[in-house]
Amino acid sequence: MSAETETSSRVATRTYKPAMPAGWWLRKGHYFWYMVREFTALPLALWLLWLLYEIQRAGRGPSGYYPPSSTPFVVFSVICLLFALYHSITFLRLAGVILHFKVMDKPVPSGLVVASQFGAWLVASIVIGAVLIGFGR
Amino acid sequence: MAEKRITVRATRFDPAKDSEPRLQSYDIPFSDDSMVVLDALNYIKSHVDGSLSYRWSCRMGICGSCGMTVNGTPKLTCSAFLRDYWPGSITITPLNNFPIVRDLVVDMEDFMEKLKSIKPWIIRKQEMPLGAGEHRQTMEQIDDFRQFSQCINCMLCYAACPVYGLDNEFLGPAAIALARRYNLDSRDQGTKERLPVIAHSDGVWECSFVGECSVVCPKGVDPAKAIQQTKLDTSVRFILPYGNRE
Repeated sequence: MSAETETSSRVATRTYKPAMPAGWWLRKGHYFWYMVREFTALPLALWLLWLLYEIQRAGRGPSGYYPPSSTPFVVFSVICLLFALYHSITFLRLAGVILHFKVMDKPVPSGLVVASQFGAWLVASIVIGAVLIGFGR
Repeated sequence: MAEKRITVRATRFDPAKDSEPRLQSYDIPFSDDSMVVLDALNYIKSHVDGSLSYRWSCRMGICGSCGMTVNGTPKLTCSAFLRDYWPGSITITPLNNFPIVRDLVVDMEDFMEKLKSIKPWIIRKQEMPLGAGEHRQTMEQIDDFRQFSQCINCMLCYAACPVYGLDNEFLGPAAIALARRYNLDSRDQGTKERLPVIAHSDGVWECSFVGECSVVCPKGVDPAKAIQQTKLDTSVRFILPYGNRE
């Protein structure tokens, strides 16, 4: 454990300040899943960069365009999907913590707020899916 | 029947002699199921080693003095029962993220400064004369801030917060929860005075919502909630000009 020694000017006492270990996030499951949640942004960003590249490729016209379908790409996409789901679920559950409002002078239960977020997510997914499938035909 | 015993390891650090803390092991009787970790420390202090230093006062989870790290988790030692650890051993270390003054005693100066910076008292633009009566509140108005007013300043949330551990400039969970407590109080008119501190980059925006502060709080306060709600409120005030009006 590395450390620094400090001398407080208020009291002439030498104190010992332990440094935060690099593996602090392995101390508890809660810390570990927090790091996973933060990490999800990286694969999502990579996948979105790839999507931009595909849009640019498709912009050249239908002739000669073929969607990527190699096994490594499918595996990468599935992993990204899992990260995206974890990111979305933790984000939407946060709404129950953050949003606080009243209806008829009664606070809306956080469970109801979270349920509304997941409901909106489901509706948005169905609408976007329907639009994409519709355009694809 | 053999007497039940328990092994307690406690951090020892003498600033006059030691370059860094070490653990010292004590084997003590576990005579009563109602014994808490603080009782074990008091036994060591009274019967084994009188030089062991630690803070405590009320022994009933109110004063917030006896916060330490017990087997890796920040706890009030007066509320942590030995029976929950026995027959395993107990390792007691000072609260994480604070400088160690001696043994299990940490330097609270940084926390006290942060607490003071958010002005944890009711601020009025103009004090009402005593003859005008009380500042009356409905039960609903009290419910708005009640849970944030339960904080006993035990600093467990700071010890559990890796953001504070990595950057001591962070205002921290308890101070922000207390700021929210007063900002939500219908008698208070000091939100604008607290905003420069809580909306600062070292304030609520430093928090990345680990959430462990709310898990370890012994009084059921939810500092993580206070911080995220304050982020939303300060954003709304920033986006909507009329939000800055009183």
